[in-house]
Amino acid sequence: MPDNEYVVQMKGITKVYPNGIAANQGVDFNVKKGEIHALMGENGAGKSTLMKMLFGLEQPTDGEIFINGEKVNLTSPTVAISKGIGMVHQHFMLVPNLTVAENIVLGMEPKSKGFIDFKKAKQITEEYGKKYNLYVDPDAKVRDIPVGMKQKVEILKALVRGAQILILDEPTAVLTTQETDELFKELIHLKNQGHTMIFISHKLDEIKQITDRLTIMRAGKSMGVHETAGISKEEISRLMVGRDVVLTVQKEKAQPTDTVLKVRNLEYTNEWNKKMLDNISFDVRKGEILGIAGVEGNGQRELVDMLFNLNIPDSGTAEVNGKSIIGRPQREIRDMGVSLIPEDRMTYGIAGSATIEENLMSDRIANKKYNKGALFNTQAMHDDSDQLIKDYKVLCKTRNQQVGMLSGGNIQKVVVAREFSCNPGFIIADQPTRGIDVGATEFIRKKLVELSREGAAVLLVSADLNEVMELSDSLIVMVNGKIAAYFEDTSMLNDTIMGEYMLGIKQQSDEEVRRVIHE
Amino acid sequence: MNKNNLKGFEFFRGLVAILIAIAVAFIFIFICADDPAQALSCLLIKPIISNGALNVKSILTILGRTTPTIFTGLAVCVMFSADQFNLGGEGVTMLGGFIAVLLGIYLPMAAGVHAAVAIIISAIAGGAVMLIPALVKVKLKSSEMVTSLMLNYIILYVVLHFLNNTFADRTKGSTQTYEFLETAKVGTVVQGTELTYGFFIALIATVIIAIFMYRTRWGYAIRMIGINGQFAQYSGLKVGAIIIASQIIGGVLSGMGGAIECLGRYTTFRWLELPGYGWTGVTVAILAKNNPIFVPLAALFIAYLNRGCELMAIYAGVPAEMLDIIQAIIFLFFAAEQFLSKTRQKLVVKEAKQEISAKADVKGENA
Repeated sequence: MPDNEYVVQMKGITKVYPNGIAANQGVDFNVKKGEIHALMGENGAGKSTLMKMLFGLEQPTDGEIFINGEKVNLTSPTVAISKGIGMVHQHFMLVPNLTVAENIVLGMEPKSKGFIDFKKAKQITEEYGKKYNLYVDPDAKVRDIPVGMKQKVEILKALVRGAQILILDEPTAVLTTQETDELFKELIHLKNQGHTMIFISHKLDEIKQITDRLTIMRAGKSMGVHETAGISKEEISRLMVGRDVVLTVQKEKAQPTDTVLKVRNLEYTNEWNKKMLDNISFDVRKGEILGIAGVEGNGQRELVDMLFNLNIPDSGTAEVNGKSIIGRPQREIRDMGVSLIPEDRMTYGIAGSATIEENLMSDRIANKKYNKGALFNTQAMHDDSDQLIKDYKVLCKTRNQQVGMLSGGNIQKVVVAREFSCNPGFIIADQPTRGIDVGATEFIRKKLVELSREGAAVLLVSADLNEVMELSDSLIVMVNGKIAAYFEDTSMLNDTIMGEYMLGIKQQSDEEVRRVIHE
Repeated sequence: MNKNNLKGFEFFRGLVAILIAIAVAFIFIFICADDPAQALSCLLIKPIISNGALNVKSILTILGRTTPTIFTGLAVCVMFSADQFNLGGEGVTMLGGFIAVLLGIYLPMAAGVHAAVAIIISAIAGGAVMLIPALVKVKLKSSEMVTSLMLNYIILYVVLHFLNNTFADRTKGSTQTYEFLETAKVGTVVQGTELTYGFFIALIATVIIAIFMYRTRWGYAIRMIGINGQFAQYSGLKVGAIIIASQIIGGVLSGMGGAIECLGRYTTFRWLELPGYGWTGVTVAILAKNNPIFVPLAALFIAYLNRGCELMAIYAGVPAEMLDIIQAIIFLFFAAEQFLSKTRQKLVVKEAKQEISAKADVKGENA
């Protein structure tokens, strides 16, 4: 039975996607009227799926949704909007060439004599802006306004359509600190006017600051509802990540020798004119794991892209064993002994509808070993695939299964099996354990250490603080496309120090940072 | 997710699509045939059985008619597998036929060798022409679909230009070339049918392409690019070169098909419009789900319908265009991703639920 206390009630929601992935399994989710309710969880925990169903973008396979006590069937966003639900997407859904006012009335334009009444549109924008303390410039083109204002436009868009319940999908991910503070003031104002908000985030501080209650999701299930005031950050993080103990990896002290990767003065400005790499120079030596820590979006992805020719820097050099890798074909880079565990495993790491075997063989398909003249030596392929499946503990029935049907952890094991078994001299591991289960995580971390101790140079990029601190022998912190700090020995570090550098509160001098160049 | 179940489902879906197409055809037949029962028997039974006995001649003709569409079907398979929506098979087939006939007329050689040389040169010409959309795609990033489609008409009018102004035999009533030499002929297996030795070449080509696609590194690269181009690039496959190669292979196969068709079934070159085999090749490849091994079967199905519609036109007064209607409907349902998606979703959900409960059982036992 629906309960009147709640404006949103989702009961026993299950969602199975056409690829067989059960993104939500029997999730209950309740939001009280007038509260700011946090929805938390790691990437892939099922938060977005749940919210997509509430906004009518996806339909649940099983379960019921009640809005204000009334059972609803949200078949499309139009239906959801008519029930007073609004969503502010992480990636803004605005038309850049139209003005702010035009965007706000898009699809419900005020008309006079059959023509769009621009004056009225402007008036509506100003009126709502005043009412909700969301000041925007109605005449500016959306493409010219800063990110913070775009977000206000998105929120206004939802409010103008009569939204009483606002879903905010990681609203602070793209904002600066000041913009975040401003947003929070506005959200509180909205709350005071009786609006209900669902706030998706995994930033603990923000959650503590602004929300009343929170629901934590993990692996497609709800881990329970809590009063924000009554739960500690540690407890939240434990529920989110599901690791009571920090996984520790046994490793001997590194004995780095020759420089393998040599990066000098890399510069890159992206298409939105944001400087993503600002004079990046560092070395990675044989036998060591160099970690790159930092809040996501501070240039880590761009750096990795440059090292595997997925993008070209504006200037600067990168060499592996003295040979330039900038702009070289991937075949050549791989032949130099470089391997990459990509951050986005579904895009780069695998061909989803191909078999496990085909995915394991993709980088070595032209090897003599696997070819007899023009034809494949299928026996050699089968033998090696089976061996890799066994060595890397890939859970599957046969090597002929479609790789896309495996779980995230097992897909990552396939990627790792391939990238680790090609005898790499230099491994780039970009978020190697993101969103995968504890068992697979531990396995991959151990392997990474093993390979580095056997003489590989490893560059580890990870947003998981535990991971970079545990695995790295030394590490650098990236902030705003710059190297903010270099720590030669990670054993002296703790979360507090790291946090200060990662958030830009502290920064090392150029002298100190330059120690990462071992010349 | 059990792969076998899904494969079984895909097969079921294909079957339903075909049945719906035929059912719709029935409706049209009932509307426009003078004697619907007669028309239906023409469509379904008469191609293989007439007067109560197997009609061997008709069966062999049906087999013979699969020849050109097996070639174009294979060509489309290879190109679609690499995610290249190249529709130039149509024009290249015509060009292949034209070149083969010219070589048959003006380049005398010993019997046997003559036909082989003519076919091989036509195939090479076909591959060379497909370089145009392929290179423009890789170098300039322009859609191969648009360029190859336009290419068909360029080929058509270039061929017609030379046919009309240079190679036409003025003594004949219709526009066509002189007869090619007997040495260039692709022989007929059984006289009085349309079954030529070209059919066996088509079957051999099928086996070669199937092995190429599933047992060689190049075929592998083509398939991986088709599934996920970014993955192929990251893995170190030479994406640009393979994209070009796939279209050259498509051109070679189409050119060969055109050559064999012209040297087998005709004595002169007399196509004055695009022959249609390229379009049918697309239907065949889609029916075969881009798997070369199924191409002859799919071609046979289309050839059977083709023959059936022809008989309907002769004996029951049903317009011959019925074939296009049936093909279009099959095409529609095969290409429709969402067709029967609810049934598929139910299947997926059922399996996912089983998997979840199986996992729960294991956990329960462990605890």
